[in-house]
Amino acid sequence: MPSSRRPAGRRAIALGALAVVGVVLSACAPGAAAPDTSADAVDVSTELTSDEVTLTIADETGFPVTDKLTEEFTKQHPNVTFNITRDTFQNLTANAPKLLASSTPPDLIRLPTLGETVKDGLVLDLDPYFDAYGWDAWPASQLAPLRMSEDGVRGSGALYQLGLGYSITGIYMNTALADQLGIDGPPATMAELEEDLATAKAGGVQPIMAGDKDGVVNFVTQAAMNQYADKDEFMAWMFNEPGATYNTEGNTEGAELIRRWADEGYFPSDINALDYFTFVSQFSDGGALFTFNGNWEAANYQAALGDDVTFFLVPPIEEGGDHVAMGAANSFSVAAKSQHKNEIVYFLNWIHTDPVARQIIVDVTGASPGGDPSLALPEVESGSLIEKALEMSAQIGEENGQVDFMANTTAGIYAGSIIPESQLLVTSQITGAEFTERVQKFYESEVGG
Amino acid sequence: MTSRPAIGPDVLTPGDTPASAVAGSRTPRRATAIAVARRATLVGWALLVPALLAYVGFVIWPLIQGVQYSFYDWNGVGVATWVGFDNYLRVFTDPDLLGAIRNAFLLIAFFTVIPVSVGLVLATLIRSMKAGAFASISQTILFLPQIIPLAAAGIAWSWMYAQTGAVNQILSGVGLGWITRSWLADYTTALPAVGLIGSWVLTGLCTVLLLTGIGKIDVSLYEAIRLDGAGWWREFFTITLPGLRQEIAVLVTLTVIAALSSFDIIYTSTQGGPGRATLVPGLSIFRIGFTQSDVGLASAFGIVLMVLILIVVLPIQRLSRTESR
Amino acid sequence: MIANRTEVILGRTLLILALILTVIPLVSMLSAALAPADRNPTGIEWPSDPQWVNFVTAFETGNVLRLMGSSTLIVLGVVPISLLIATLAGYALGGLRVKGGRGILIFFVLGLTIPFESLIIPLYYQSQAMGTLNTQWAVIFPLIGLFMPFSVFWMRAHFINVPPELGEAARVDGASTWQEFRRIQLPLAMPALSALAILLFIWTWNQFILPVVLIADPLNRTVAGALTFFQGQYSLSIPLLNAGALIIITPAIVLFLIFQRQFIKALLQGAVKG
Repeated sequence: MPSSRRPAGRRAIALGALAVVGVVLSACAPGAAAPDTSADAVDVSTELTSDEVTLTIADETGFPVTDKLTEEFTKQHPNVTFNITRDTFQNLTANAPKLLASSTPPDLIRLPTLGETVKDGLVLDLDPYFDAYGWDAWPASQLAPLRMSEDGVRGSGALYQLGLGYSITGIYMNTALADQLGIDGPPATMAELEEDLATAKAGGVQPIMAGDKDGVVNFVTQAAMNQYADKDEFMAWMFNEPGATYNTEGNTEGAELIRRWADEGYFPSDINALDYFTFVSQFSDGGALFTFNGNWEAANYQAALGDDVTFFLVPPIEEGGDHVAMGAANSFSVAAKSQHKNEIVYFLNWIHTDPVARQIIVDVTGASPGGDPSLALPEVESGSLIEKALEMSAQIGEENGQVDFMANTTAGIYAGSIIPESQLLVTSQITGAEFTERVQKFYESEVGG
Repeated sequence: MTSRPAIGPDVLTPGDTPASAVAGSRTPRRATAIAVARRATLVGWALLVPALLAYVGFVIWPLIQGVQYSFYDWNGVGVATWVGFDNYLRVFTDPDLLGAIRNAFLLIAFFTVIPVSVGLVLATLIRSMKAGAFASISQTILFLPQIIPLAAAGIAWSWMYAQTGAVNQILSGVGLGWITRSWLADYTTALPAVGLIGSWVLTGLCTVLLLTGIGKIDVSLYEAIRLDGAGWWREFFTITLPGLRQEIAVLVTLTVIAALSSFDIIYTSTQGGPGRATLVPGLSIFRIGFTQSDVGLASAFGIVLMVLILIVVLPIQRLSRTESR
Repeated sequence: MIANRTEVILGRTLLILALILTVIPLVSMLSAALAPADRNPTGIEWPSDPQWVNFVTAFETGNVLRLMGSSTLIVLGVVPISLLIATLAGYALGGLRVKGGRGILIFFVLGLTIPFESLIIPLYYQSQAMGTLNTQWAVIFPLIGLFMPFSVFWMRAHFINVPPELGEAARVDGASTWQEFRRIQLPLAMPALSALAILLFIWTWNQFILPVVLIADPLNRTVAGALTFFQGQYSLSIPLLNAGALIIITPAIVLFLIFQRQFIKALLQGAVKG
């Protein structure tokens, strides 16, 4: 057998294969343009079908409100049943675009950030339903963050999300510990708050309970920034408006404040090992004077601390000034490819209008049920934290002080930048200026690139 | 009965076994051999096809596609734009990504050096005991960490490393209370702490594999050197270690791959934190590809990771190969 | 081996230390699982009132039965097929010693160095194109492919050590290749096959990254892949989380304990060859 021919032949085959692969690789780009969904628009109907229907919802773990709402809905409309799948916040955020793009998307999905789902045509435009159901009676400012324009800027454009409750954040204070330390009430200004922190530290009480293993210290970080930054500028950045920057004077001042607090030892020393549930349970066990959190934990804190806890808005810089607080819709979107658009939007509308649904939202999450402000507010126990939460919501609405969570600015900025950088900030590893610079850099690479 | 070949009479070449010469074939052994060999090759290749199909279809083809994606800027759903080697450039210039690669190499100390060394010691110890219940129970117990999912190891150890967890409890118990801390939250101890989880998982595997290797070393060598008056030190370095060269090479390969491609443990324990102290390429690829939807960059990083593994592993294989027959 | 007394004592102590260190995390999981479900336990302590009921709670609310079912489905899809085609390939390479076998072997072995992370992204889009995304098949097919390098190598290593005379003798007696395979090779291969089966079972049962990426509903993943789902559901309760995790890892441990003798014996048969 002529062995000299074999290596040459083999080489030729290898080269040929490589050439073919090369041509294939460069010729066929992966991916496809966004599908044109205008062609398969369904007739918008505000009537609920009488057919047997099963609606699928992809939701977060640890938020039972969807279970209660769907239970109640099925009770009222037995022909509609629900199938709810749950996954962790991280997994859900990571998988959401793919879930929506698959051939069997969930009808409704918890979506903290729209990201590129609008550009890729994955979520349903709800404006036709806005007109049909008459949602213009609802506060426009509540729905504004749920809108996105064609160039990916939030705040205006078509409506793509609705909230299962609209949250408010603030500070919980352990009043029993406060009494012990001689503090007689919630601080009225940021300066007073700092004084209280120092008092607690001197008195051997953990001033602030916070955790940053999964990023929740950013309730505190952003709360500080909110007071110094220009609200509109901040929101412009969160909405990805072109030219907006995170690296503003106000934000940097806020971050520097947090760094000071870290240096003073106001945060737990093992803050980066505490995840959300640990930091909640530690405050519930009476482990600190203050904790920054939202209305969704009001029921839990109340159950754990009884009368020894109160809830209030983050104080302004100046006495008597307007308040600024983070709040957002517990936002959900409808899949553009959903087979049951009318039914699932009916469910969303029902959540905002049905008295039992609204009561469930308030009872289970303490959030404001949103919707038409002229509708009766659900009952709350007088003097309870939930009552306070609703009051705070109303006050922020009046003072127009609501801002979104900076963590939702882009799909990747929380896990990719804000969490790691804040971990460094609250353990005094970087300065406030470095924090805002780095987050801005990441933002630019994600949005600009 | 087989047919006669066209060429030549019956020939018995030397080396024929009588059985094959007698068993019904009067054909020249060579022709039969060729025919049998050809059929064996055909049959053999047919047998290889299913495994090759599975491997090529679900490993090689995706790998090629990954290479393709790495040259584009793509978010996974929309249109993809060609960017050439941009993504690879980013991998080598982005400090965060380089940091992840650095962390992966640092983990080699914990995933490879510790398990193999401790494994050597434990294997020698077990071998020196009489083969009995204790020896076999030891092997079983030591191997247990390989049986539980890495994710479960991450969860169990995260809790042990907490401020109020078992590790601090034990340290305080033996009088080392002054060094207790939240191990996974401290910038300097987070990566070693995570590394030790890997050591825990891999030491048993190394021990058991090395044990099987020691079993193959000729016992008389040991007896001879003992008669010479050598202590266990010399015995270890002149007999045990050289005899285990193959096994050590395999273990080093496996554990280095585990270190460089670690994901499960970090995902369930630190998520890459604090800061980026425990960020590893595996987690970074997952995050970039799925949370940030930058498929091109993630694919490029994935290819770079594979090349790094090859660069480290191939020399090891080469070194071990020069010794074998 | 001859050894003196101090060495023996020192050796035994070290060994026992190693054993304790190995077992501590499992003990800590157990102690956490038995603590009252609504508090966060601290450290290892045998609880005064062991809450065995935590296991029941975790089992029910964690949908453990469904998780196990899903995992079993994936195992049944992956292990038998992998064993079959790897044995065929291993026999071709090690028993029949086909021409070009060495090149094929190297081709397979190189696959061992490919980390799963490099493949998850293309595998995602591939399973989407195949329509298997979010079903168990999305994990089954890639796993079979991913297990081929090791499995083929393992079975080849076995077959190459089988003396060719055995095969030849059968062949000479008039047996066809197939009959020889069935009557002689297969029984001989049993130890290697069963060890491989156990390894593949464990690796499939413990698969994490593939199910997390390819199957959206945690209840359709492997038990390991659903552990993060557990973390999310049970973060408020460390005891329940640990109880659930223990339930999940038990089947693999039980299987291993039952078959550990075969397993170690097969390892001894020199799967570790150049």
